[in-house]
Amino acid sequence: MTEPAEIPASLEGVLKDEILRMYQEVADNPDSEFHFYHGREAAELFEYDAEWLARAPGGAVDSFAGVGNPHLRSRLQPGETVLDLGSGAGLDSIIASWQVGPAGNVIGLDLNPSMCLKAQAHAASTGARLDCRTGSMENIPLPDASVDVVLSNGVINLSFRKRRVLEELYRVLKPGGRMSIADIVSAKQLSQSIVNDPKLWAS
Amino acid sequence: MFRLVEETGFTKVRSAVVPRFRFRKAATQASAEAFGVKAVVMTALKPAGA
Repeated sequence: MTEPAEIPASLEGVLKDEILRMYQEVADNPDSEFHFYHGREAAELFEYDAEWLARAPGGAVDSFAGVGNPHLRSRLQPGETVLDLGSGAGLDSIIASWQVGPAGNVIGLDLNPSMCLKAQAHAASTGARLDCRTGSMENIPLPDASVDVVLSNGVINLSFRKRRVLEELYRVLKPGGRMSIADIVSAKQLSQSIVNDPKLWAS
Repeated sequence: MFRLVEETGFTKVRSAVVPRFRFRKAATQASAEAFGVKAVVMTALKPAGA
């Protein structure tokens, strides 16, 4: 996972539009077929606890589009404040909310305002508390040193500016805070044809 | 990614491959393998004194 040397602003804008479109499609039409596994099939593939999946709202499970299971190593504790970077339909946020309990807080962040509304509705339907903010991972709308744990699942790879994203995560974490992120990495530099193709980058 | 996380200032950076991750379509999976694409779970700490 490397940083492209030069990022045309127009290409980054096109990419963000494609990401919004792609993940809105997963949320709106979870029965469709995508390049990646999603929904319950993916969550089971990544060993999400069966009890969690039974308890979570169907809409959150069906629209799950993660690439791994960040909860396996997150060690969330009651009372902690968690940021779910790229919270999507809310499954990871809801699971985090159950773990931090009523004394904790879960803040979702998503580029798509309608996904935030959907995630909050899913959380509310299970009694989980989720404060979802609309914004970009390159400019996280949170104060310095305000969260204990960052979770993320299949999101950072979508950014052209990964170094900037990691600097933002470092900024919002409290000293001693931690992150548990599942993501896609590449051992080789992606070809320019892939970098310049928003559909391939977004998937 | 691992290097970027360390360069940002995080410590105790650990990563583990997600063994069952794969793309649904065979052609996409083949391309991914050609580029060494894989899913990982990565953990890291912000130092207490930072």
